[in-house]
Amino acid sequence: MTEFRTIDVSGLPSYDVSSQSPLWWGQLMITFIEGTMFGILIAAYFYTRLRMDVWPPPGDQYPHLLLPSLALVPLILSCAGSYWASESAKKNSRLGMIAGLLLNLVLAVIALAMRIVEWHSLNFNWKADIQGSYVWAFLGLHTFDYIADLVFTAVLLVLVLIGRYGPKQRLGVHVDSVVWYFLVLIWIPIYVTIYWAPVFAGSQQ
Amino acid sequence: MTATQDFTPQIPNQAEEVEQLHRSWRHPRGVLGWLSYTTHQAIGTRYIITAFIMLLTGGAEALLMRTQLARPNNGFLSPDRYNEIFTTHGTTMMFLFAVPMMEGMAIYLVPLMCGTRNVAFPRLNAFGYWMFLFGVLFLYWGVFTNAAPDVGWFAYPPLSGPQFTPGKRTDYWAQMITFTEVSALCVATEIIATIFKMRAPGMSLNRMPLYVWSLLIQSFMVIFAMPAVVIASSYLLSDRTVATQFVNPAEGGDPILYQHVFWFFGHPEVYIIFIPALGFVSAIVVAHARREIFGYTAMVLAQIANGFIAFGLWVHHMFATGLPQIGEAYFTASSMMIAITSGVQIFCWLATLWTGRPRLTTALHFIYGFLVIFVVGGLTGVVLASVPLDWQVHDTYFVVAHFHYVLIGGALFPLFGAFYHWFPKITGRMMDEKIGRLNFWVLFIGFNLTFFPMHIQGLMGMPRRVYTYPAEMGWGPLNFIETIGAYIIGIGGILFIANVVSSHRSGRIAGNNPWDADSLEWATASPPENYNFEYLPVATSRYPLWVDRSERAFVTGLRNDRREALVTTLMDAEPHHRYVFPASSIWPFITAIAVTIGFAGSVFNPWYIVWGSVLSGLALVGWFWPRGDSEAES
Ligand code: HEM
Ligand SMILES: [Cu+2]
Repeated sequence: MTEFRTIDVSGLPSYDVSSQSPLWWGQLMITFIEGTMFGILIAAYFYTRLRMDVWPPPGDQYPHLLLPSLALVPLILSCAGSYWASESAKKNSRLGMIAGLLLNLVLAVIALAMRIVEWHSLNFNWKADIQGSYVWAFLGLHTFDYIADLVFTAVLLVLVLIGRYGPKQRLGVHVDSVVWYFLVLIWIPIYVTIYWAPVFAGSQQ
Repeated sequence: MTATQDFTPQIPNQAEEVEQLHRSWRHPRGVLGWLSYTTHQAIGTRYIITAFIMLLTGGAEALLMRTQLARPNNGFLSPDRYNEIFTTHGTTMMFLFAVPMMEGMAIYLVPLMCGTRNVAFPRLNAFGYWMFLFGVLFLYWGVFTNAAPDVGWFAYPPLSGPQFTPGKRTDYWAQMITFTEVSALCVATEIIATIFKMRAPGMSLNRMPLYVWSLLIQSFMVIFAMPAVVIASSYLLSDRTVATQFVNPAEGGDPILYQHVFWFFGHPEVYIIFIPALGFVSAIVVAHARREIFGYTAMVLAQIANGFIAFGLWVHHMFATGLPQIGEAYFTASSMMIAITSGVQIFCWLATLWTGRPRLTTALHFIYGFLVIFVVGGLTGVVLASVPLDWQVHDTYFVVAHFHYVLIGGALFPLFGAFYHWFPKITGRMMDEKIGRLNFWVLFIGFNLTFFPMHIQGLMGMPRRVYTYPAEMGWGPLNFIETIGAYIIGIGGILFIANVVSSHRSGRIAGNNPWDADSLEWATASPPENYNFEYLPVATSRYPLWVDRSERAFVTGLRNDRREALVTTLMDAEPHHRYVFPASSIWPFITAIAVTIGFAGSVFNPWYIVWGSVLSGLALVGWFWPRGDSEAES
């Protein structure tokens, strides 16, 4: 009947839990956006530092190094949970997803708690001076994203636990891991800036 | 359906399948239904109409300014009012008209040109539109409650800081930026995902229409540039509302840093506006010169290079702040370099037109107008890139002339060409060509009458952003001519609207492909059904509609009882898997309301950030909560 050639795609799957999915690319773009934002803020921090004689500004303590450095351990390990969950999502293994998401959440909450304790000990706030503004902006923005992703992860965990999940939710678990790797990765330059820059690029009288 | 028969294959149970498609792509009914639309045609049209209203608003503001400036010592507008109006005009034109208009066109056209059924994330698309609309309402709420911003469209501190501009004016401005940036970033994300993963089978990257290329590049520019303006406006807003010190020199903050961050966005911003316009030019030139583009590869490479270079120029807006000499040299050279990549494109279009069989339609008139005006604007740009000249004319009307030549010549003329070119696709009817040509000449003459004398006036020393000037300066005659020109532009606008209204009602029926054009949007009905194509097309060439009919191919086997399309691989566009679009949903609207509560409220009380976040979080859970059987494993 037809004079046209046709490609029959009825045999193709109706989803794919991998980087072939448009959602994965969308998520990647969101990490580019946030990465650019933090990149500009870090550049602005050092630009500001160059224009000041005394750094950190007088009155500001040098941030402590121990607790934030220790907090990197659970933070980085939490990626393993994320990876586990995302691989299990590809294979559609419910148990693996639950275990991975749970591990991810627990370690992330521990790292967050350590961050907050350290945050509490800062002797300057965002109003104090320019360093205060930047440090609080870094902490505030990153922690906001961090908590938002934890909530999202928790919702996914609930969906998997109560069995209300299909390919879309599995894909959600997979791209959630992309976000999580990004949040962990971007924390490292932020951590260096907040906690180490005053040491290696500072000069206090 | 009959209209598209000659373009679609004859499949045994075609009628049934099409009926099913109709049903699964039908819009929900009622007011709530209307708020739940997620098809790209509906959302794209909403963007286009809203942005057009913003063009009219900005235009009305321009006429107010021109009326005030018509003669020396005029008292039509008070100095304060004049400040508000030029700020609102610039802000409206850049943030609420130009960028959203280009996005609306892209949302409408890209899925059609890629041969798919919707953008990759239809709900995100709807959400982006609502954020844009709420941003418009937010700014204009300020304008109408006597809190219009008045510190210029780039709001430099310290003038815009808490000491020198108390009150809420600047806060409205800064938060409006946040709204429109969220919207722009949503669009960029979904356009990239659509272009990368949902192109018609066979549409490998080197077969992609140049318009789609331009949107790909523009979207990446949005992704890397917009975060900068979010930071700049947040600096301002947080300094003003929660007393941070980002731009406060007394505590180590730095107003010059604000300029850097703003222009790191601001320069790419103009390319974000005009790169899609260059895409219009390519599409229109090819269709109306009835010839393949001359130098496809050179065009693509030049556009990509444009995109990169655009990020290395921003400091030319800051020559007057005093730079180290090496900085001056670098930014002068890089600014002049953009003339090379732009030049390559201009010559390719000229060669295409020269060797083609151009049909002198209204659309092509606007392209010729673009070529003339844009080249003039580009030349004054090269002039301004030289530091001594820039110092001489900085903040004069020479600059006003330059940027209106590039913005109106580079973006508005191609846009009007695009309206004339795609109107038949969007409405199913042709626009009137006679009124169209008149429309073109009125706009072209009005434009040059308004803006050409500004070059001279700038060289005579008239500064920009002044509400009036003494008669002795001798600037009166030129200003008077410009005001007449501005009213002629206004008449051109009215002609256009009249043409749209009458053509929409009683224009000639267009048919699928009135221009005999090459790209896939012309392969389907005008206006397209919600599902765009009964059978997704296969791109067998760079000009899929210009190949012999026997060469054409189509996709079969997608399910029609739900909203499905095809995901293809990034480089070669080979079919990979089927993709199920989410159904229409009210949640994007609800989420936009929740986010708006946070954004708008935080201007008055920072705690609204918290309430807004909680509400948005809840709304997002509603958005993503699984429902219906289409979510189950199949
Ligand atoms: C339609 C005809 C237009 C007319 C008659 C017009 C006229 C003007 C005038 C008189 C000024 C103020 C000059 C001053 O006092 O410094 C101005 C500023 C400006 N215009 Fe337009 N304009 C038009 C269209 C546009 C368009 C389409 C755009 C952008 C897409 C645009 C962007 C701007 C910007 C960014 C400013 C600078 C505002 C500022 O100084 O903060 N204009 N225009
Ligand atoms: Cu520039």
